[in-house]
Amino acid sequence: MNLESWVTTFIVYAMPFYLAAFAIYMVRLVKGPTVPDMVIAVDALSYDLAAFLVLLGILFRAPIMIPCAIVLVLWVYALDIYVAKYFEAGEIGE
Amino acid sequence: MSSLIDWILVVIGQVLVAIGIFCDLAAAILMLRLPNFFTRLHALTVGSVGGAFVPLIGAALIAAGCDFLGPYRWFMTGGAIVTAIIEYVLAGAGTHAIARAVYRARAAPLKPLVVDRIAEDRGGEEGASG
Repeated sequence: MNLESWVTTFIVYAMPFYLAAFAIYMVRLVKGPTVPDMVIAVDALSYDLAAFLVLLGILFRAPIMIPCAIVLVLWVYALDIYVAKYFEAGEIGE
Repeated sequence: MSSLIDWILVVIGQVLVAIGIFCDLAAAILMLRLPNFFTRLHALTVGSVGGAFVPLIGAALIAAGCDFLGPYRWFMTGGAIVTAIIEYVLAGAGTHAIARAVYRARAAPLKPLVVDRIAEDRGGEEGASG
């Protein structure tokens, strides 16, 4: 078995586990009794999605996936800060 | 010789990605099963460090060993490492910010509660924040 098919096979077998984890996160995102529960579900979902995007970039030989992952991580941090600011001060901005 | 180094890099990276998959599934189940917001923060930490930082480093090692990626091989390695470092720093900062804000705004229920040191320091009764 050469290296290319070994890497491709590994990533293909890793995909269902990631998709199962995303599905369970989506359950908490829809059910979440309070807004902070939904926010941390989105956090965990997006951080894992960033790792999954890098793996997909190796699988599809598509380096354009890397900037997508970086931007996703930065926006989720912005979501955290916005929600925290909203809970503490009751408004966005200032 | 170069092929052997490639194989070693790829196998180490695959072990890290496998650890990440385990942490990811564990974090998803914890996120579903733990009782309230402040315990689910633990699931978020498992999912963001064990489930994203470790497989990103593993993906960087896999990309470093994959010569079939052509000229973008080192771009993907460096990009994955940069993503991992950004994620590692920002996940902790964002989690602390949202936990502090939710505790102070009482936006999530505190029960079931074992100990609340902030309320004890302020002389209030257990479970009453603010």
